[in-house]
Amino acid sequence: METTSVQTEKPTAVVEQPIVPVEGAPAPSAMIVFDHVTKIYEPHVTALRDASFIIEKGEFVFCVGPSGSGKSTIVRLLLREIDPTSGRVIVGGRDIGRLRRSKLPQLRRNLGCVFQDFKLLPNRNAYENVAYALKVIGEGTTQIRRKVPEVLSLVGLADKMNSLPDELSGGEQQRVSIARAVVNHPPLLVCDEPTGNLDPDTSVGIMQLLYRINRLGTTVLMVTHDREMVDKMRRRVIALDEGVVTRDERRGGYTAE
Amino acid sequence: MSRLKLVASEALRSISANLSTTVAATLTVLIGMFLVGMLVGFTTYARSWGDQQKRKLVVNVFYCTDQTCSKTATAKQMREVEAQLRASPLVKKVTFVSKGQALKEMEKKSPALVENLTSNPLPDAEKVEPVKGEDTPRIAETLKPLPAGVQKVTYGAKTAHKILNIAHLIEVISLAAVIVLLAAATVLIANTIRLSIFSRRREIEIMKLVGASNWFVRGPFMLEGVITGFIGAILAIVLLALGKELVLPSIWFDDTGVHGISFALNALLLVGLGLLLGAAGSALTLRRFLRI
Repeated sequence: METTSVQTEKPTAVVEQPIVPVEGAPAPSAMIVFDHVTKIYEPHVTALRDASFIIEKGEFVFCVGPSGSGKSTIVRLLLREIDPTSGRVIVGGRDIGRLRRSKLPQLRRNLGCVFQDFKLLPNRNAYENVAYALKVIGEGTTQIRRKVPEVLSLVGLADKMNSLPDELSGGEQQRVSIARAVVNHPPLLVCDEPTGNLDPDTSVGIMQLLYRINRLGTTVLMVTHDREMVDKMRRRVIALDEGVVTRDERRGGYTAE
Repeated sequence: MSRLKLVASEALRSISANLSTTVAATLTVLIGMFLVGMLVGFTTYARSWGDQQKRKLVVNVFYCTDQTCSKTATAKQMREVEAQLRASPLVKKVTFVSKGQALKEMEKKSPALVENLTSNPLPDAEKVEPVKGEDTPRIAETLKPLPAGVQKVTYGAKTAHKILNIAHLIEVISLAAVIVLLAAATVLIANTIRLSIFSRRREIEIMKLVGASNWFVRGPFMLEGVITGFIGAILAIVLLALGKELVLPSIWFDDTGVHGISFALNALLLVGLGLLLGAAGSALTLRRFLRI
């Protein structure tokens, strides 16, 4: 499932097959399965209402919708920061709702995460921020010395390794956070509004980077508001409105045509 | 090994980042442990002293003499009283003190009193040692009404009883004080850990995101609590040792046969307590504020 090195480019692995509603066992090649997932925040805010979709391995998927439509709930469910009120969330063939708490770190190691606010440690430079992710999961020093420069050059920051987040532009900071998310070669990358804080030109760069990571074999789920980007990329779009999946198109735009 | 090093370095980083609260927590542990140490010392001392006082509690049975009753007690009467006392399960030992022995003892204690005496006014007596110090009044009670030949029965030491009561009270109050102090120290450590969790919530969030194991996230905080408890306890021991060497000799009365708990044992107890407090304090907070 993991690519052994980021240098080995793989062809795009978009599976051209109709998206079937989930009934019974999910297809073995599915990366993410939402099986009739409902999430109600107490007392009575329904964030997701009977949402079902499958994301195959290697896909690049946009998740769009207005604020409060349940996009962030999907991300939080995937990270299992919250549990669904009903239904199943299956990641990599495993029902994560049935995962023991002690196994959560294992889930999160297989799932890279990128956020709108970057979530970098302000007192550590780019290299250390990426290395930190490896250190806390117990990676050896030799591996860290090999992997960190490799991934930083993948995101185009080979010459800014020693810069503190303050000294980097927004786009560069987001690249560091993407580098941190993919340094472990997770099979799945979840991005929550990664371009939300960036200007359009910088956003294009970030999108190209994500696209490139996707072509290396990583499944990418991107939650976004960025209409222009979605329309330009013409990838699969899952649209949400008030917690309901209103649209799931193989090559969609931000709004239904 | 390298992860242990990382946990330790994270803990140190956090301690130095929240130095003021860490110092506050350490000082609370210090004060708490200092008082606990002192109280443990005093209580054990008081108990030992109380035990010794109890050993001194005896019942004195004085026989009749010409002066006190109409006639002197006969040898037969004395034997009967002695036998009755020996039969009691409350009595450990009965010793006959003749008037001559009593006079000699008195001569030793206060020679001036004896100097002018023409004859021995003192009666023969029985010294009755109880199994338990508290039982002296009950033993005296068994000799009521007074058997023939007995002039009076004393179990003197009313003051001794008061002192025993006070010693008991001291024990209870100390225990309560110790519990309150320990609770306060635990809460303060918990609070310190909470502050350090708060100041490091970004790092914690990132640790969770990249899949650090739960123990890896908790580790530095637990270590921080334990270090705080440990340092506080060590400082308290240093203070106690100083107090023992410098202050105690000048105010302490030397009473042989009375000993508090040994200092080393006390110190060990404090270190153990300090570590326990640190762990308990951090565990308390981690459970509530670090859902991972």
